[in-house]
Amino acid sequence: MVETLKIALAQISCKRADKTSNIEKMKLYVEKAEKEGAELVIFPELSLTDYLVRDLIYELAEPIPGPSVKKMAEIAKENQVYIVFGMPEMSQKAESVIYNTAVLVGPEGYIGKYRKMYLPTHSVFEEKRYFRQGYETSVFETKIGRIGLIICYDVFFPEVSRALKLNGAELIVCISASPAVRRTFFEILTAARAIENNVFLAYVNLVGIEEGLQFWGGSRIISPSGSIIAKAKYDEEDFVVEEIDLKNIRHVAAFVPTIRDLRPELYEQLKTASETI
Amino acid sequence: MKLTSQVLELNWDDVAERIKNFIRDYVEKVGAEGIVLGISGGVDSSTAAALSALAIGGEKVLGLIMPEEETYNPKDIEDAKRVAEKFGIKTETIDLSNILKAFYEAIPNFNAQDRVSKGNIKARTRMICIYYYANTQKRIVVGSSDKSETMMGYFTKWGDVAADISPLMDLYKTQVRKLALHIGIPKEVALKPSTPALWPNQTAEKELGIKYETLDLILYGLERFMKPQEIASQLNLPVETVEKVKARWITNEHKRRMPLTVKIQYRTVGADFRLPRI
Repeated sequence: MVETLKIALAQISCKRADKTSNIEKMKLYVEKAEKEGAELVIFPELSLTDYLVRDLIYELAEPIPGPSVKKMAEIAKENQVYIVFGMPEMSQKAESVIYNTAVLVGPEGYIGKYRKMYLPTHSVFEEKRYFRQGYETSVFETKIGRIGLIICYDVFFPEVSRALKLNGAELIVCISASPAVRRTFFEILTAARAIENNVFLAYVNLVGIEEGLQFWGGSRIISPSGSIIAKAKYDEEDFVVEEIDLKNIRHVAAFVPTIRDLRPELYEQLKTASETI
Repeated sequence: MKLTSQVLELNWDDVAERIKNFIRDYVEKVGAEGIVLGISGGVDSSTAAALSALAIGGEKVLGLIMPEEETYNPKDIEDAKRVAEKFGIKTETIDLSNILKAFYEAIPNFNAQDRVSKGNIKARTRMICIYYYANTQKRIVVGSSDKSETMMGYFTKWGDVAADISPLMDLYKTQVRKLALHIGIPKEVALKPSTPALWPNQTAEKELGIKYETLDLILYGLERFMKPQEIASQLNLPVETVEKVKARWITNEHKRRMPLTVKIQYRTVGADFRLPRI
């Protein structure tokens, strides 16, 4: 059983629509992480292409696994680390269908993916214009622990993280591209998801300025009791490595037993009520 | 929501920082060698110029002072120079009088009594001069438009609003004044009545028919989907005043967008041709 895990939060800015440069940059960060003993390196949402690429997304999307995933898997293998990064995924069944996807690769190669379930399409966000929503939550059993993936706006919907926990997640990785005006929401919600599910949560946000939106960084690791055990700088590139102790989940869960106290019958009520808003 | 001046308060350190980062980032991304902007001695252009200087260094910012004989005001010129000096900005003065006279004489149906159309020639002539410097000196043009004037359509289409970036466009006028004071713009400049200087003794508040303190709260309420009746009752105004502001905001959308075209082909510029900016 895995007990401790060293995580690298790679809070980078990305080059618009330039997959080669972004892979090169991620490679440098992975090498740095490996030198510092990290076992898992996390990059922001859509880190392969940058977040706001608009219509260029149709040229940039790739199947998974595909050429970029292959390169990232090689980097993972060379450095013997696990990597989570984001990319636009082209459906293998219909090329015009694209997902906003988080990918997990490791020393053993491509491991799995998660397609963002909640696509913000309001205010400055236009994700539903480009992406199809995902339909499955994803938890991966790996040598470094059971890892569940979510992406950015998913964190506003507690049921996604709850499903990951119920499927065994010990660590939820949330990759993000959140602009500064939303910072308070994310700082509260990432802690809430960790506390209510008795899990560790690693949040990695983009930095840089795109179309007047300033991505605020502030990546962090939150313990199951809600404390921030590692935090990257606001607004600028940063790289933080921290170790978590997965054993802590048990005693926190005994103290705040949210999973023991779950009320399944409420989910039926939620389903009915949400269908008739 | 309670509409008081308190709702317009922001963390000015944070706002200044974000605007400076935004300006610096854009200049770097497009590979420009500097910034050029018109400086009138008013609060908006003084603030835009100062933030530009704080972002990339005053020596890389050029402020153009563009007086003309009809609206000539030595106090404004003095204020523009004072702000420029304080923030280390280079200035150049272009007297527009002869250029404008040439326009007036060359246009066959020119009507000097139509002061709006005549004034718009002035605003657009300033724009031409600013872009001349931008082109020849590889500078970007920083606009000074604020949110109050942009929402009201209180600007000259392709004139004073023309710019590569407009860092103040998401701040209401009263907020720009606060930001100005915060970054060290002299008080008499920050609080000076605004004028587009299109004709003598023109002031924005007189022309808009409302004080910015009131207008900004109306616009703030509209921005947050409040109903005119509710805004009027909170601000103790006739509902017609709010309705008028709302109508002006909506009908001026054409001034804030790319020109409208007819949809003929697969993807259309300004409609569904959606590319990222650099």
